Amino acid sequence: MEELIISIDNLKEIARELFNNDCRVIGTTAENKFKVIDDPEQLILNPNSVPTGSSFKEFFFPKTEPLFFYKQNNSSIDLIDPVIDKSRIVVIGAKPCDAAALPIISKVFNWDYKDDLFNTRNDNSLIIGMSCHYNDEFCFCNDVGGSPENRKGSDVFLKPLADNYFKAASVTPKGEAFIKEYQKYFEKDLGKNKPLVRKEENPNHFDYDKVKTWLDNNFENKFWDTAGEMCLGCAQCAFVCPTCHCFDIVDEQNGSCAGRRAKNWDACQFSLFTKHASGHNPRDNQEKRYRQRISHKFKYYNDKFDEILCTGCGRCSRGCPVSLDILQIVEEINSLSQKSNAI
Amino acid sequence: MNELKQICKDALSEKKARFIIGYKEDKNKRIKPFIAKTPEDAEQLTFNHHAVNNLAVYLPRFKNNVEGKIGIVVKSCDLKAVTALIQENQIKRDDLFIIGVNCSGVVLDIAKEFNKDNTQIKCKYCQAKTPPYYDALADESKDFEMPDDDQAELMAKIDKMTSDERLEFWNAEFEKCIKCYACRQVCPMCYCEKCIVEKSEPQWIDTSSTARGNFSWNIIRAFHMAGRCIGCHECERACPMGIPLTLLTRKMGMVASSEFGYRHGMSLTEPTLIGTYSTSDKEDFIK
Amino acid sequence: MEEKFEPKIAAFVCNWCTYTGADLAGTSRLKQEANARLIRVPCTGRIDPVFIIKAFENGADGVLISGCHPGDCHYNAGNFHARRRWILFKNLLDFIGIDSSRLYFSWVSASEGKKWVDIVDGVIDAVRAKGPFKQYKKMNKEIEIPVAAEEGVSVK
Repeated sequence: MEELIISIDNLKEIARELFNNDCRVIGTTAENKFKVIDDPEQLILNPNSVPTGSSFKEFFFPKTEPLFFYKQNNSSIDLIDPVIDKSRIVVIGAKPCDAAALPIISKVFNWDYKDDLFNTRNDNSLIIGMSCHYNDEFCFCNDVGGSPENRKGSDVFLKPLADNYFKAASVTPKGEAFIKEYQKYFEKDLGKNKPLVRKEENPNHFDYDKVKTWLDNNFENKFWDTAGEMCLGCAQCAFVCPTCHCFDIVDEQNGSCAGRRAKNWDACQFSLFTKHASGHNPRDNQEKRYRQRISHKFKYYNDKFDEILCTGCGRCSRGCPVSLDILQIVEEINSLSQKSNAI
Repeated sequence: MNELKQICKDALSEKKARFIIGYKEDKNKRIKPFIAKTPEDAEQLTFNHHAVNNLAVYLPRFKNNVEGKIGIVVKSCDLKAVTALIQENQIKRDDLFIIGVNCSGVVLDIAKEFNKDNTQIKCKYCQAKTPPYYDALADESKDFEMPDDDQAELMAKIDKMTSDERLEFWNAEFEKCIKCYACRQVCPMCYCEKCIVEKSEPQWIDTSSTARGNFSWNIIRAFHMAGRCIGCHECERACPMGIPLTLLTRKMGMVASSEFGYRHGMSLTEPTLIGTYSTSDKEDFIK
Repeated sequence: MEEKFEPKIAAFVCNWCTYTGADLAGTSRLKQEANARLIRVPCTGRIDPVFIIKAFENGADGVLISGCHPGDCHYNAGNFHARRRWILFKNLLDFIGIDSSRLYFSWVSASEGKKWVDIVDGVIDAVRAKGPFKQYKKMNKEIEIPVAAEEGVSVK
């Protein structure tokens, strides 16, 4: 297949065309936030930018959404299905650590129950990924099976070139069809625009297999007494995370005799998360809840779905009010695993 | 800094404190909360412009678990939270070993150096660099130039708006809320074992992050802070969505001060504003 | 002809004074408008501001709160505590932008049937003149059944 390039202006043109065709175009703007783009001029693709404060999961798995509405109708109750927005979602300029999250959480949404709400959006989506040139002390994508060039989850993948050009390649059949659809905006790569290169390679921090083995055998380790000691139990880490997917189901009243049942984000760091109706709480302190967070990410999800529930974007650590750093915790586990091997 | 380490080391080895809640620097040079349990641990304790956390938030955890004193490193703003917790019977003064630090301002963005543009809002109107009382004081103070209090300007601007404009302003802010409750968890005064938003029979506040749920949550949170907020600005710092939460809590503090001449966390013995009343409270709206 | 807007008023009243006062208005056959729904609470000190928020959430166009005159509280100090709370809460609502013409407070004793009628009628007229509380009702949009939704399935 011939190699294609596209300019930022043409990408914006595609965004404009998509927007005019009732697509939801998601991209980052000057504030470095994922947003529904209504003005393509706002769109900014910067491979050097820090990952956005929140991931784009809210466009696939919203912070709150109705499952059904109810209304009393004399002696019976009417149940009304919500209107599912079937419009196409196109994410432009997702970092590899963002794009990789969708296939990961798709597994849990299609495990025993097929989640129509998530699937409808996921099936109607197209992810245009872009290689990442950012790296700071919180990034660790290459330790969890990713890389700044990882194409997992992307349908089309862009590599930044000089003069605001991008090398474009399709990753999936969906991506191929997309490039065909907007063929007129792509140009043949004549090698005029030099690729931008990453300043340095990302360092490796830990060996995932060792961490996993340690987690398999150390549920009761005293390490957990101090790991989450300073955690305050807010859930900003889970809510900004691209892969955290827990939700709660609640009923809400609107006036009398009507309301809705909704699905809302929830998080394992809340004490209420595991509290039984009896009042018993199996995870009754923050240390246990923090162990759950780490174990779910690096052990349980892998046991069940053969995926690490973390893409190494580092958002949780950047935003943590008490500067708990997930990478440092896993690095500690890594060094503990080496010590236990030595014995 | 050595002075702080020495004080803490002595306090731990002389058993003046069972442990000390303080700050340490991690390998990425970030300052984070840390509990020093042994004199050796005290080596790691530190304090500088990046020590933003209000450590008083950890105190209610030890309410029913006091054997020996709890050591805590506090700035003067954090000490107000400690005082308020004592006033509200959450902890006893006698159970604390307070290590005050002279503070000359803390950063707004922890990833950047401290300077005039990178200063917490609370420091812009801070009135006491030295904690008013303590069991030991580590002298770390340096003079610093107080930047302009731009939040007061914004507050005056909101005061001038019509009520519809104000509602629009706040709705746009509350729309960002994702109900992660970081504002609550990080607040030293939010120590309820069961928060009102977690009460489900009846469900007073929607847990959904809808316009309605966000509005109710934020307004009730602000009300529960009225006359109780000590102004550490931790809620706004913790908010991942950047909602200017302290505009509300600071405003309520100003109301408490103008209507009742009351400031929370200033006296160990004064009854709390909401816990008491006066027959001469003045208002003009009850018919 | 355009239908006349009839406001919904939630009135939280204390058991000992205002509720009894409202009862007196009834037994005295004083005429009053019927838009206010009375919710009887043991004391104004029982009124958590979350009640007011909940009333607005569920469609109230105005809220009226009434109890014993200062010094007359059945429990000695309930209304003094309440007054302090209201001063704070009213200032908060003002700052957030809830129109102060949606929320009313009064002291009505058990013998003031006439005062109760005047207050209720006054509040209803004022809120009727303001029209529906659209600004607050707008926030309910996500919880309302969407217009585009298809007919529901009935379950007994």
